[in-house]
Amino acid sequence: MRRVSTRGAAPAPIGLPVPRRDGVAKVTGRGRFTVDIGMPGLAHAKLLRSPYPHAVIRSIDTAAARRHPGVVAVVTADDLPDVRLVYGHAVADHPMIATGKVRFAGEPVVGVVAEDAVTAEEALRLVSVEYEPLPFVTAPDAALADGAPIIHEQPGEQRAHRGFAEDIARTHPNVCSESRQSWGEIELAFGDAHLVVEGEYRYPRSYAYAMEPYTALARWDEGELTVWTSGQHPYMVREDLAQCFDLPLAAVRVIVPYVGGGYGSKSYTKIEPLTAALALRAGRPVRLGLTIEESILTTRGDAAIVRLRSAFDRDGLILGRQATILLDTGGYAENSPLVGRKAANRLGGPYRIPALDVLCSTVYTNTAPASSFRGFGAPQVTLAGESQMDEAAELLGIDPLEIRRRNLLRPGERPWPNVRGIDADLVADLDLAAEELGWTTPLPTGHGRAICLSASDAGSEPMTTSLVRVHPDGSLTVSCGSTEMGQGSSTVLAQMAAGEMGIELERVHLLQSDTAAVSYDRSTGASRTTTLMGLAIAAAARDARAQLVQWAQESLAPDGPTVIEERSGVRIGDASHDWGDVVRSWFGGHAGECVGRGYIRRSGTTEEMPPFWEIGCVGVEVSVDESTGVIRVEKLVTIGDVGCAINPQLVEGQDIGAAMMGLGMATREELVYEDGNLMNGNLFDYRVPRTTDLPEIRSVIVERGDGVGLYGAKGGGEGSLNPVAAAIANAVWRAAGIRLREAPFSPERVWNALRERDAAARS
Amino acid sequence: MPETMDLSLTVNSRERALRIEARETLGDVLRDRLGLTGTKISCDAQVCGACTVLVDDLAVSACTFLAADAESRSVRTVEGLAPNGVLSPVQQAFIDHAGFQCGFCTPGMLMATTALLEENPAPSRDEVIHALEGNLCRCTGYAQIIDAVLAAARGAISPDAVPDAVPDAGLDTAPTAEATR
Amino acid sequence: MIPRFSLLRPRSLDEGFAAFVAAAGEGAWIAGGTELLQVMKMGLAQFATLIDVKAIPELHGIAIDDEGGLVIGAGTTHRLVERSAIVRAALPGLATLAARIANVRVRNTGTLGGNLAFAEPHSDPATFLLACGAAVRLVGPGGARDLPIGDFVLGPLFTAREADELLVSVRIPAAGPAVGRAYAKLAFFERPAASVAVRLAIRDGHVAEATVVAGSLSEVPTVVEEAGRALDGSEATGAGLTSRLGAAAEAFGALDVVPDLNGSADYKRHLAGVLLHRAAQQALVEAHARA
Repeated sequence: MRRVSTRGAAPAPIGLPVPRRDGVAKVTGRGRFTVDIGMPGLAHAKLLRSPYPHAVIRSIDTAAARRHPGVVAVVTADDLPDVRLVYGHAVADHPMIATGKVRFAGEPVVGVVAEDAVTAEEALRLVSVEYEPLPFVTAPDAALADGAPIIHEQPGEQRAHRGFAEDIARTHPNVCSESRQSWGEIELAFGDAHLVVEGEYRYPRSYAYAMEPYTALARWDEGELTVWTSGQHPYMVREDLAQCFDLPLAAVRVIVPYVGGGYGSKSYTKIEPLTAALALRAGRPVRLGLTIEESILTTRGDAAIVRLRSAFDRDGLILGRQATILLDTGGYAENSPLVGRKAANRLGGPYRIPALDVLCSTVYTNTAPASSFRGFGAPQVTLAGESQMDEAAELLGIDPLEIRRRNLLRPGERPWPNVRGIDADLVADLDLAAEELGWTTPLPTGHGRAICLSASDAGSEPMTTSLVRVHPDGSLTVSCGSTEMGQGSSTVLAQMAAGEMGIELERVHLLQSDTAAVSYDRSTGASRTTTLMGLAIAAAARDARAQLVQWAQESLAPDGPTVIEERSGVRIGDASHDWGDVVRSWFGGHAGECVGRGYIRRSGTTEEMPPFWEIGCVGVEVSVDESTGVIRVEKLVTIGDVGCAINPQLVEGQDIGAAMMGLGMATREELVYEDGNLMNGNLFDYRVPRTTDLPEIRSVIVERGDGVGLYGAKGGGEGSLNPVAAAIANAVWRAAGIRLREAPFSPERVWNALRERDAAARS
Repeated sequence: MPETMDLSLTVNSRERALRIEARETLGDVLRDRLGLTGTKISCDAQVCGACTVLVDDLAVSACTFLAADAESRSVRTVEGLAPNGVLSPVQQAFIDHAGFQCGFCTPGMLMATTALLEENPAPSRDEVIHALEGNLCRCTGYAQIIDAVLAAARGAISPDAVPDAVPDAGLDTAPTAEATR
Repeated sequence: MIPRFSLLRPRSLDEGFAAFVAAAGEGAWIAGGTELLQVMKMGLAQFATLIDVKAIPELHGIAIDDEGGLVIGAGTTHRLVERSAIVRAALPGLATLAARIANVRVRNTGTLGGNLAFAEPHSDPATFLLACGAAVRLVGPGGARDLPIGDFVLGPLFTAREADELLVSVRIPAAGPAVGRAYAKLAFFERPAASVAVRLAIRDGHVAEATVVAGSLSEVPTVVEEAGRALDGSEATGAGLTSRLGAAAEAFGALDVVPDLNGSADYKRHLAGVLLHRAAQQALVEAHARA
């Protein structure tokens, strides 16, 4: 790891590679995940899923299953008249259990609760469901063709939604949402163009493969609902549960233990409402633990078809970009409408684009629902945008790095009106990547290099709170709604609290992700936690310190000298008092507590949106085996432009992990549908990267203190995924003279492209 | 014919005797009967390695290894790596090198590494890569895991005083993190 | 989730056959379980009784028989095959192959016999052993019979084994002097995309007795006789060899190739051609070494 820093000083342990605070728990097996939780009287649920991609449910016979010994409850939609079955973050179109019809193969139709999971599975085999299969469609372009089967009968404008009124589609029944981003005079831009590059780029249906499958437990106690879940966003799940069961928010408690990988796939509500419904009918606590096969059918990443035109002048300056994007959202909207908005926003990438017009449609198909996944629209559109930068460079005879330098947004420059200016030095990032990649050194035959960038409007919305509780011994409880899902929030948030209160890290204890015990945070996603929760914790620390200074004056020096605030306490005359002294003195005994509150909303430095720009800057060197079409990433450079690395070791891990995930999707990962069925819905056939895929790695962390967060911090962890597919595509062009526009760049696709190249050369 | 059976085995050096169903895997018995939930089930198809445990020192997938096949054998799980509360060199190296993030693959990764190093105490980088090819990690991208395994093999111990580590952390410019205490 | 079943653990072949009868048509043999338990989890097969054969002595051991043949007990794990000094000396390609099956955990539990009896079309051992002229020994209540691999593996997940018969051992005949046997595969997913096994001899600087087997392409590992004939008589090095290998690879064109996630039939045929070069080169190296 290499660190490049020009930021100002920050108090220790901020900026230090302290060991992860969840380390011992996780290397000893003592760390508890939702899958590890048990409780007295717990019953176990299994789901019967539709074998048809699109069908009307004619009848369900559950009698034999109900009679099976050990069965506690058998639940269909008809058994839940008292529950609001339909939920959905962006568009409420998703019944927790099939109601009348199924829209993808794998949709849950019947739930069985039994004394143990094996008995529940036995009982499932005794259920018979009569389906009337309907015509189905599994590709977004086909779903928009004349006569395509209609997947949701209810017209778009009648679908309930949360803040997506403008995006709800009205053009075609199979279009879920339409998001437009435009500025400048697009006709003019293309009219003036010296060069127009056009192309269609495809990004696959992907699977995040969080290794912990979706799991939830639900327990009802006197009208209060407690749910343990593997979800990333406890507060959002709370909101959906309250609506489904018509409960006050305060009557719903959502607890998230350690999350075994999320990457966005565990954001928003998944199986929690159904688990709670099953528990309601069972009259007992219920655990619903999905398998990985079922998890794949629960949420996947959006496939994309991006048709992009880029206009350039003769110097390679971008004049305009015009695009239509189709995202395959599958049977239900989930969070794809927001992915669509972001894809439209992110198509311009890190460049100065005088005119832009993007229409992104999310399209229903009879496939597993798609939703948030690391990068959130950016990997899909970056493949298109960054490919065309290299295509243009080639056609204009400009070096691919130089064409980027000419177009990259300068620090503070706004990508489009009314958004935050770019809080990064993109040209410097690019030059660092070039240096690490050895851009000018000779390459072996069959090798190629490329560097690509992205800039994402990240951070979601600033709606974040925290409590900092100072105890009489000076130790600290920090309460926050941010989830620990591997990204290291439990470590970096504690580091920031320790730094801001001036106490040892060991004296900071974090309480996370229990809606009854910690205060509100909107979500753990969009790379926002370090930035926004960090600010909330700092605000709470400031609030606590202000109170403590006041308390010191009141209780330690009522008539005496003015209390001087120091880093870890106060000084009165020659005497220093730590925060614990102040608490005890103010309460006049050995006990008491000071509570500091931090609220972060759209106000002050976090008023402008987005809260920060998440930068991706990745360089690769690839080799192409022309005999088999296998491409290998030989070298990978990541630039982690994070403003201030609260914990550089964790930033490095996020960057490499993100880039390797991008490498998987660029080269091998794709959920394949045939005849309406998922052909590789298991880890046997869906291949994620392995140790053998690891290239030589150069990880650079750049700290210029230019983010809105504490000491100039801003988010990371997604950026290094976003440009990877584009970088590989461009490097393959330079290695082998083939232009890959459809990810993953599987060996056969590469081989076909090589054959076409050779055929073209012969003719 | 018996769907249930008696099982005697040693788990982390402790004798265990219990009655199980024949269908139970070693993963079922460890997690659900013995409360050893450190062993994780992910792909349930012997691909991911999250459930790796050692049976008579050999790595197996607890998700698909019948508990009955552990009869009279010695089983080691992640819970047995630090018998007296002292982390094993492998565990310590994973902490020092941030060889995990979410931690779900970690127990299996640690057991696979333990088996590797017991058989080959000084593996090359390529040998580590080959030995761990069947253990998936979705968070780290593997770089820090491989560093951790090689460090464990070297018996390398990290600097325990963290601030001292800063000048070595690769800063190009003067350290910006001030140690104020 | 594995459905409920009863487990019997016979300690001899006779106990095993008695157990099979007792299972009343709902029994299945199990050894490592790496394949069987997986299909039971997926709900693709269900058996009321599993009969664990690992304690039957006849299924264990690796030895060279009186005629120099290599005999490997069906219950031998891939790991033991990989580590066996006898295998490494007699058929090094098999040890190398075993070291690359699936992952270390599967190799520690999965058995050679289980792999062959499961008859997965992408099986590494079946492809290689077919080229090596191996035979399996099946023992049933009525006695024993030996079947060449080609007569044993009949289709995807389908063999000539009767339900009450047990695969006891595999025998690979001794190779004469200047014979090489090699296996090459390419895997993009868990199982190979394509694989090729080659057995050949070098006589007077020319290839002789060439056998080429394609794996993972068709429903069963297949001897591609045309490819073998194309290699026979080829110079053992140089441009002559390269051209004959090209001709041999053409023979894959006639194979009935099943497209899968790895790619189309054409692509898989092409890969087989690439692998044929690799396997043949390795086999020639071994043949020279044994000359």
